[in-house]
Amino acid sequence: MKASLRWILEYVELPTRDPEELGEVLSNLGVEVEGIETIETQFTGVVVAKVLDVNPHPNADKVRVATLDAGGDPIEVVCGAWNFEAGATVAYATVGAMLPGGFEVGAKEIRGVVSPGMICSEVELGLGDESDGILVLEDGYADAGTEFASTLPYPDAVFDVSITPNRPDAMSIHGIARDLGAFFDLPVTVPETSFDEDGSSNAVVRIEAPDRCTRFTAREVKDVTVAPAPLWLRLRLRDAGVRPISNVVDVSNYVMLEFGQPLHAFDLDRITDETIVVRLAEDGEKLTTLDEVERTLTADDLVIAGVDEPLGLAGIMGGGDSEVSDTTTRVLIEVAHFEPTRVLMSGKRHALRTEAVARFERGVDPELPPVASARAAMLTAMLGEGRVVGGFVDEHPRPPEPVIVDLPDHEAERLLGVEIAVDQQVGYLTRLGFGVDGTNPMRVTVPTYRPDVTRPADLVEEIARIHGYNEIPSRLVIGRGGGLNEQQRAVRAVRSIMAGAGFYEIMSFDFLGLAEIQSLRLDEDDPRLDPVRIRNPLNEEQEYLRTTLLPGLLAGLRRSTQRNRPNAALFEMGSVFLRGDASLPDQPEHLAFAATGARSESPLDAAGDYSVEDALGTVEVLLGSLGIDATIKQRSVAGLHPGRSGSVMTDGTEIGVVGELDPDVSDSWDLNGRVIVGEFDLALLAPGPPVPFVVPSPYPPVVFDLAFDLPNKAATADLLAAVEATAGGDLERIVVFDVFRGGPLAVDRKSVAVRLTMRSAERTLSDEEVAPVLSRIAERVSDELGGSLRGG
Amino acid sequence: MVSLEDLSGLQTRAEADLAEASTVDAVDAISSALLGQGSPIAEARRGLRDVDPDERRELGRAISEIAEAIEAVVDERRDVLAAIERAEHLAADRVDMTLPGRRPQRGSSHLVRQVWEEVVDIFTAIGYTVASGPEVETAYYNFDALNTPPTHPARLESDTLYVEYGDDPEGVLLRTQTSPVQARWMESHDPPVYIVSPGRVYRRDAVDATHTPVFHQMEGLAVDDNITFADLKGTLAYFIEQFFGPGARQRFLPNFFPFTEPSAEMHTSCHVCGGSGCRTCGGTGWIELLGCGVVDPFVLETAGYDPSQVSGFAFGVGIDRLAMIRYDVPELRYFFDADMRVLEQYR
Ligand SMILES: [Zn+2]
Repeated sequence: MKASLRWILEYVELPTRDPEELGEVLSNLGVEVEGIETIETQFTGVVVAKVLDVNPHPNADKVRVATLDAGGDPIEVVCGAWNFEAGATVAYATVGAMLPGGFEVGAKEIRGVVSPGMICSEVELGLGDESDGILVLEDGYADAGTEFASTLPYPDAVFDVSITPNRPDAMSIHGIARDLGAFFDLPVTVPETSFDEDGSSNAVVRIEAPDRCTRFTAREVKDVTVAPAPLWLRLRLRDAGVRPISNVVDVSNYVMLEFGQPLHAFDLDRITDETIVVRLAEDGEKLTTLDEVERTLTADDLVIAGVDEPLGLAGIMGGGDSEVSDTTTRVLIEVAHFEPTRVLMSGKRHALRTEAVARFERGVDPELPPVASARAAMLTAMLGEGRVVGGFVDEHPRPPEPVIVDLPDHEAERLLGVEIAVDQQVGYLTRLGFGVDGTNPMRVTVPTYRPDVTRPADLVEEIARIHGYNEIPSRLVIGRGGGLNEQQRAVRAVRSIMAGAGFYEIMSFDFLGLAEIQSLRLDEDDPRLDPVRIRNPLNEEQEYLRTTLLPGLLAGLRRSTQRNRPNAALFEMGSVFLRGDASLPDQPEHLAFAATGARSESPLDAAGDYSVEDALGTVEVLLGSLGIDATIKQRSVAGLHPGRSGSVMTDGTEIGVVGELDPDVSDSWDLNGRVIVGEFDLALLAPGPPVPFVVPSPYPPVVFDLAFDLPNKAATADLLAAVEATAGGDLERIVVFDVFRGGPLAVDRKSVAVRLTMRSAERTLSDEEVAPVLSRIAERVSDELGGSLRGG
Repeated sequence: MVSLEDLSGLQTRAEADLAEASTVDAVDAISSALLGQGSPIAEARRGLRDVDPDERRELGRAISEIAEAIEAVVDERRDVLAAIERAEHLAADRVDMTLPGRRPQRGSSHLVRQVWEEVVDIFTAIGYTVASGPEVETAYYNFDALNTPPTHPARLESDTLYVEYGDDPEGVLLRTQTSPVQARWMESHDPPVYIVSPGRVYRRDAVDATHTPVFHQMEGLAVDDNITFADLKGTLAYFIEQFFGPGARQRFLPNFFPFTEPSAEMHTSCHVCGGSGCRTCGGTGWIELLGCGVVDPFVLETAGYDPSQVSGFAFGVGIDRLAMIRYDVPELRYFFDADMRVLEQYR
């Protein structure tokens, strides 16, 4: 909201007029100043002049010659505008005047007539947007010859303030003045509302939805002449960011800005039977609002209606049909109070954020309508040269109960941590308009313009606002717990291991489109293919909640490739969302990684491309670092390469999968090379229990190599398990050092060679001792895997 | 029988031969020829057996002296050549040390995550526990328990992402704040409470410079006997000092949040310009950093606490925002973009 300092000063005599200083005060009161604009007159040498005579130009049809009284001898100037006649008061730029934009006015010859200076339009003076015709001032604006700049309300400072949703009272110039008055402990005046009444109005108001409209007032002003509002009013609206329209409409906007009470002016002659009905709309009912949009209403919308059709959307925007026009003479001023939340919902539904909505949604003072109505009637009658009609209608079906809150004297100290004397608290509250009786508790009556205050804590905030938040001391309190729990530490460990293993952590949105999840070639009955849907998604690509982290990672690899960075290793840790039995989806946290392209950015390293061995190695490092004893079970994992994928198992439970992406899936993500991936349930990556220390043996080892001729399909893990199970406690280390096919082997066979290091903790082993172990190993491998010792 | 005269000529010969030798191997060959098996020295030693015992000792000593003298010159020459050969060998082994090295693979944790962990650590160090909760949350915990009634605008479909789960179309949602974690925690723990809850939150915002539908927040909550606004100020001042370094000033402006009363917005003096005004702070010298306040009595009551006995403070800060401010990241979307050019900057 824009708040002019000059306007504020009309209600309160502030001790300072320094905009910066006042801006600081306002912000500290919770009326946050987001900017301060200084408005200055942008011209010199312009005076008020009276048009004495207007005559045709001797040599031109499109311009005329006007004789002006500018305070001295009559002056003849040439003028191209036709919106004035003799008797008009105008702004005359003398020779030598400087106009906005650095334009210097001279004496100019126009078709043989010399024009010393010119009559100015609004635009030429930087006072408005109207360029059609010159600026015509009201009669008696000022004496001829008066410096025009001196009649304008400038310089002025305009605060751009942001008002929080709980402060309806601050949505007005008078309200801001009231807060400043409270802060500086100064009286704040109430705008004048006096007028005489003439006759009695026949207007009738019927409230059919009293829970939505708790008060409705109507007042008639007759014999009104609709015309442009005087300059001071137009400028005031302009500086507040509101477009001037006509005296009648401008008055309602002015009063709204002044009091924060939206109001509406109807052309009474256009209201059937002079009867207004406040009712809920019918579903499907149509209303064309002032912005010329035809709106379809619902039964949740409240309308101001005539006996037949809706005239406006209550508290939001009027309709075109009953609007005040140039021919209007009888004005009905409507000032009402509407239930805040419903106005807000209705406004949101119709995407209308009007000034009225911004005020009603916060909750306008229910006692304001008669005051605002009187003020608007007085100004309408004054500016439209009309007369206020008696018979003020004030339908007030639900007058609010006064709100009284008991405030214990130590409550402020208990919540703020600063001692504030009771009389000081009483002073603050009184200055803010609260009524206070007694001391402990203080019995506080809340003014009707503060509907947000209902409890002691709310009063404490009021006390704190005036006392100053920045006057409250600062004290560090120390908690009673602290540190991460085991699971939290494990999650950090996983992250640091993955980063250490060469992967970059990404954060992607938790959303995916159906096409993305379907591209993964999952099994038909895979629960990940049935993602939870967002009811109001932003778009189709963000319609579902992710059931796996892979799409985010694959999208990352694809984007990286598109950006000419085809080598990328990424990981992400975050929730996935799966249907379950509870009232909320299962939301396990996952770890997933994906990599493609060269393992090193430097071709000199000749490190080769990522392939499944890197995926396996990553898993080994991850699980090894966490102390998790796991094995890989080879199986064709849906979505992954059938021959290059498997489950990661601990104690017979699958804790994750690892492998290369199915080449067709890679293709569908525009990834050309091999893509390695792995995905784990983080909760299952809990570090293993502490492992006892093994004292290194001081004795020398016996090292020997064994090469086995095995069926192709035999799992190396099974071979190693068989060897380990047979070798006994002296087996220190076993390493696979050679794998090959072909050569001397049968077609469906492969050779796997392992190097065993045997070492006793108690003595030096001899070859003779080890020999029987070897034959037992050979026997077992033969029995279990159909393998034979090669060359042995 | 080798004469002593013959032997004394050997030393001269050795010196001449060694001068010719250009490699350690050649020196070794000369040494072997003069001193090794079958060499004149060896022969002379062997001949001692036949010498009269009286002369043997003297002759033996003379042979040894000659042998030692030869050994000395051999060693001297070998050392010289060995040094040269070592230098040549190392020179040949030279590597252009300005070539790129063979790097162990490196990755990084995300910048937002680094900030996340840092702010968590700041609070765990002063006795806070880390609490977490579900991201798909019930409207009860996200709104109702936090004094945000069904008619509150934050609950509108234009602002909150609702999830199709269960029967109530407005019952399940993507949490819009991490505050539901606080509500859940208080429901299951008695005071004192000192927790921080970092996590993902969601709003129905299209992506622009400062908005993404997913972002990260950390909320803090302290509930105990005698917790006041003063404790809030001191705690946040400590946090800012730890995160941005010493010297930052704070100011607290009244604001409005449904779950705190009194509520405040905390501004901190700009860490870039120190308060004189710059691009980072939009020329104001202040950065709007977070919302905070004294826990609203409704929230305490809903959790089953007695608001007349205990009090608390709460604050919420955007983790992404902290990262943007500290690292001068111009747009939020970079954090959600897996661009290697971005990720590599996260050290
Ligand atoms: Zn700055």
